[in-house]
Amino acid sequence: MRKGAMAVALFWAAGSAMAAMDIEVLARTCNNCHGVGGISAGTSMPSIGGLPRDYLKNVMKQWKYDERGAATMNRIVKGFSDDEIDALATHFSKKRWVPVPQKTTAALMKKGKSVTFENCEDCHGAKGDDPDEDAPMINGQWAKYMTLELEKYRDDGFKMPHRKMKKNTRKLKQADIPAAAHFFGAQGQ
Amino acid sequence: MNAFDRRTFIKALAAASGASILSIPNAHAAKTRARVVVVGGGYGGATAAKYLRLLDASIDVTLIERETRYTSCPLSNEVISGEREIKTLQVGYKGLLKHGVKVVHDEVTEVDPAKKIVTTAGGKHFAYDALVLSPGVDFNYAAVEGYSEQLAQTKLPHAWKAGPQTLLLKKQLQAMPDGGKFIIAVPKGPFRCPPGPYERAAQVALYCKYHGKKKAKVLILDANDSFSKKPLFEQAWKELYGYGPDGMIEWTSAANDGAVTRVDAESMTCFTGFGDHKGDVINLIPPHHAGKVAKNLGLATFKDKWCEVKPESMESTKQKDIYVIGDACVGGELATNNAFPKSAHMAMTQAKVVVANLIAKFNGLPPPVPVYTNTCYSVVAPDWGFSVVHLYRVENGQWVYIKAGSGISPVTFGTKEAPLPVPRIYRKLEAEYADGWLRNVLADAFA
Repeated sequence: MRKGAMAVALFWAAGSAMAAMDIEVLARTCNNCHGVGGISAGTSMPSIGGLPRDYLKNVMKQWKYDERGAATMNRIVKGFSDDEIDALATHFSKKRWVPVPQKTTAALMKKGKSVTFENCEDCHGAKGDDPDEDAPMINGQWAKYMTLELEKYRDDGFKMPHRKMKKNTRKLKQADIPAAAHFFGAQGQ
Repeated sequence: MNAFDRRTFIKALAAASGASILSIPNAHAAKTRARVVVVGGGYGGATAAKYLRLLDASIDVTLIERETRYTSCPLSNEVISGEREIKTLQVGYKGLLKHGVKVVHDEVTEVDPAKKIVTTAGGKHFAYDALVLSPGVDFNYAAVEGYSEQLAQTKLPHAWKAGPQTLLLKKQLQAMPDGGKFIIAVPKGPFRCPPGPYERAAQVALYCKYHGKKKAKVLILDANDSFSKKPLFEQAWKELYGYGPDGMIEWTSAANDGAVTRVDAESMTCFTGFGDHKGDVINLIPPHHAGKVAKNLGLATFKDKWCEVKPESMESTKQKDIYVIGDACVGGELATNNAFPKSAHMAMTQAKVVVANLIAKFNGLPPPVPVYTNTCYSVVAPDWGFSVVHLYRVENGQWVYIKAGSGISPVTFGTKEAPLPVPRIYRKLEAEYADGWLRNVLADAFA
């Protein structure tokens, strides 16, 4: 960002009412891909409304400073100031988390449950709805998106900073990934 | 947006202006309701209509659109190759009705900017306080000798507006013999969907490769010397379909006599300055310009084709209280060749700028600081996609292209001296994201 814009951004971040409004304006551009209120309508893209503030902030900053790989978002966030990223994280964290309904069957859920393990539960909660502050809730997150995320963690060509997740996702069998993602995704039912 | 968000928004507006929070809704309600007419129900117009109502339900919003069903241009190249059903691109206007938008299926015949009245072919009149024009493009068939609207609908489809012509082109591709030639003629830029012709070439090649037409040729005859995401397309073409004189896909730039000036439908021949090219299928994309509603109003002041607008609001530089968004407008950092791309995503963020601006205006508050973003995916195979993103801010009344927040997917990793291939997972992710993007933009604009 240019120096002028940075100065202006810092001024807003000083707590003026303008800050709140301009973050609304900026956040509305996120809706294109993440939905109104951060509730995604596209299976490969995550819902972000209601996710923990620290998680949102960390992920965006890691993308911005090339500490975490991404296919698209890393380019987008590089145009935002750190203050804007903080404000966007706060903005979306204040939304309600709305699990998206996903079709499932008892058999699918049983299979999904059988391939997840306690390490998932430790950080995300048994049903994915009780996360730590730096972990996202995953109950009713899109299964397709989570399948792709798990593939990122398992791919050596992808820079993922979370060592625990890297280790744990590699304990899963490749064929079991969609079932694991589905188990948490369909918790919104 | 829920009631709480709306309240926060109005409160923030009020606080920003130093006005009393309580006085705002009352002052507004005391007047007659603000009336906004939106012309054109594509991504831009639908977003403008929906968000106006979402953020301030006191505004009277009328959307005028000819068709009762919209077909998304983005990802319509996948329909041509059979990778996607056209109905996944189609949406009606019920979602907007739910938000309290009055949807009128009619054609605008006249706008009186002095009296601020829009008249339709159906003989209806709509008075407005603000008019948002999102008319898309109209085609200049006369620019290519021998071409016509009638030919576009029958023998030589452009399919540059998704719908019947998309399906016609698909049928022509299916009927093409192995060893046949599929010509895509690209007009001089700027045109709608900058990477579209090149994505189309890949989708056509994809179809040929897996449907017994391995000897087919896809020839791009281009009136330009470069194109959007060029290194990414060339890399993918080469690896997936073969690129160049010996490959399935060939690109002929303007410098190499690629610009098509004349077509003969009888002999199925495209003529360039010095050459002629016979095709089994000719997909001729004619030059286009701002939709006629805007053009007839004299708003297309840029090269007599596109409508110039103010960076802070998207208001026409020519007519007060008329806002032009989407493919019909021109904006961005023109001096550095970083104009707004004509994309759905861009149209939607432009619509959101207009909405924020109008709501502030109707409530007597200072205009918010706008931001414009673009994300545009291209899919060249089911597991191979890539994108370009753009970010524009407004400083001192001018658009500023923010390079740090813009750019294409990586072509290579490693260093310039020792480049490494980008792992395939990146391409796969972006092919998947393209579909997620489509579903989200359709929902954000129409649901």
